[in-house]
Amino acid sequence: MRVRVKDDVCQGHGMCLLACPELFQLSDEDGHAYLLSEDVPPELEAKVDQAVRGCPEQAIETY
Amino acid sequence: MAEGDPARCPVDFDHFSPEHAAHWPARWAEMREQCPHAWTERHGGFWVVTRYRDIVAIAQRPEDFSPAKYQDPETGESRGGLAIPELPGLRFIPNEVDPPEWSGYRTFLNRRFSPKAIDVLKGRARQFAAALVDRVIEQGHLDIVDDLASPLPALMMIEIFGFRPDEWRSFSDPFHKMVYTPADAPEFLETMRGLDYFARRVDEEIALRRVEPKDDLLGLLANGEMDGRLLTDEEIQNIAFNLMGGGIDTTTALTSNTLLYLARHPDLRSRLAANPALWPVAREEFLRWVTPIHGLARTAIRDSDVDGWEVRKGDRLLLAYSAGNRDPEIFDDPDAVKIDRFPNKHIAFGAGMHRCLGSFLARMMYETMVTEVLARIPDYAIVEADIQPYETVARVNGWVRIPATFTPGPKVGAVIA
Repeated sequence: MRVRVKDDVCQGHGMCLLACPELFQLSDEDGHAYLLSEDVPPELEAKVDQAVRGCPEQAIETY
Repeated sequence: MAEGDPARCPVDFDHFSPEHAAHWPARWAEMREQCPHAWTERHGGFWVVTRYRDIVAIAQRPEDFSPAKYQDPETGESRGGLAIPELPGLRFIPNEVDPPEWSGYRTFLNRRFSPKAIDVLKGRARQFAAALVDRVIEQGHLDIVDDLASPLPALMMIEIFGFRPDEWRSFSDPFHKMVYTPADAPEFLETMRGLDYFARRVDEEIALRRVEPKDDLLGLLANGEMDGRLLTDEEIQNIAFNLMGGGIDTTTALTSNTLLYLARHPDLRSRLAANPALWPVAREEFLRWVTPIHGLARTAIRDSDVDGWEVRKGDRLLLAYSAGNRDPEIFDDPDAVKIDRFPNKHIAFGAGMHRCLGSFLARMMYETMVTEVLARIPDYAIVEADIQPYETVARVNGWVRIPATFTPGPKVGAVIA
């Protein structure tokens, strides 16, 4: 599984950081999310799924 | 439901009414089900949008639905903006500004409120929270609003701006009162005048910073360059009011409602006191359930539609965040507090590009205050006969007072300085 954050849609709600801090961090500039890695290891798939479902802006996609 | 064009789903609805303040969850549920976008003739006429997906869709379309306030060139009157009814005077910057102007202001301010910037302030917040509890802990009684929930955000905003800590009360009182006084009440104009003092203090400090720069927010406003130029005095005032107005009473309402709820649910309170690691997820649930800012407005800047619902140019819309946050299409058992609810895609901070600038600060202040209370006065009991909610929840869903009693304890020696 791979994941991406649509930067023009993200508004920095920070719910992805709560769901999966192993992969999602928030920028020091504007609080928007960025990824430490686009590759999702199998053991983090459930957490990334929570991040996708928890984003109010629907800014996170897996593929 | 009221009479009128059935396509507009007319209702007689006033978000300022005491009836709404007392029964809003049930009222929202009824409107969401029967008329998720309902037209009321109150306050000049506006749509009430209660379904989560419509609120987010509108908030994400700033090219169609704008929160901007502008002056009518013919009458000089303010039109548009985030408040229904429209508030005279100030235009909040950056909240009531459209792109491309908006992005300059927001970029200018973002760094001051980023997660990292807020992390640096944690120690100060803890010191203030400890000092506020110190002030009351030996006497065994307090007012959750006036002694704890209201002062901490005011102290922190003053710290960030760079005012003196001993000024907090003169700033926090008018902002607090402005929020719960109805616009047609005689005291409202008086409260607005009370804000003049804040405006004057901003001007005075800005003048000082221009002579002697400092790295506080006032220093940034005085001497920082946005797109290669300094801010005007009017821009500085509009930014200062936006930040103070957004920062002062909102976290207060969240903290007050939470501490009241926990006193009424002592098992939950004990569980949170024993496991502070539960707070980050619990915090988001209280944000959803309380939704301090119940709703904010947009103006349709062209004819358009939202999922088949036709909106005409000039129509005003109230995005009822508190209704969206109780939408059963998104949240199971939405009226219940479930502190382990996760994921939790609430919109207590709004959505789209105008989402709250201070959300990381709000979360940090809130967690600091509630954990300080649960650690030091864990047995507080509400004096239920004396609690008083805001008369209206149109602006903020908060409390005038929540008296409580508790077993006295020792001071830790923290000071506000």
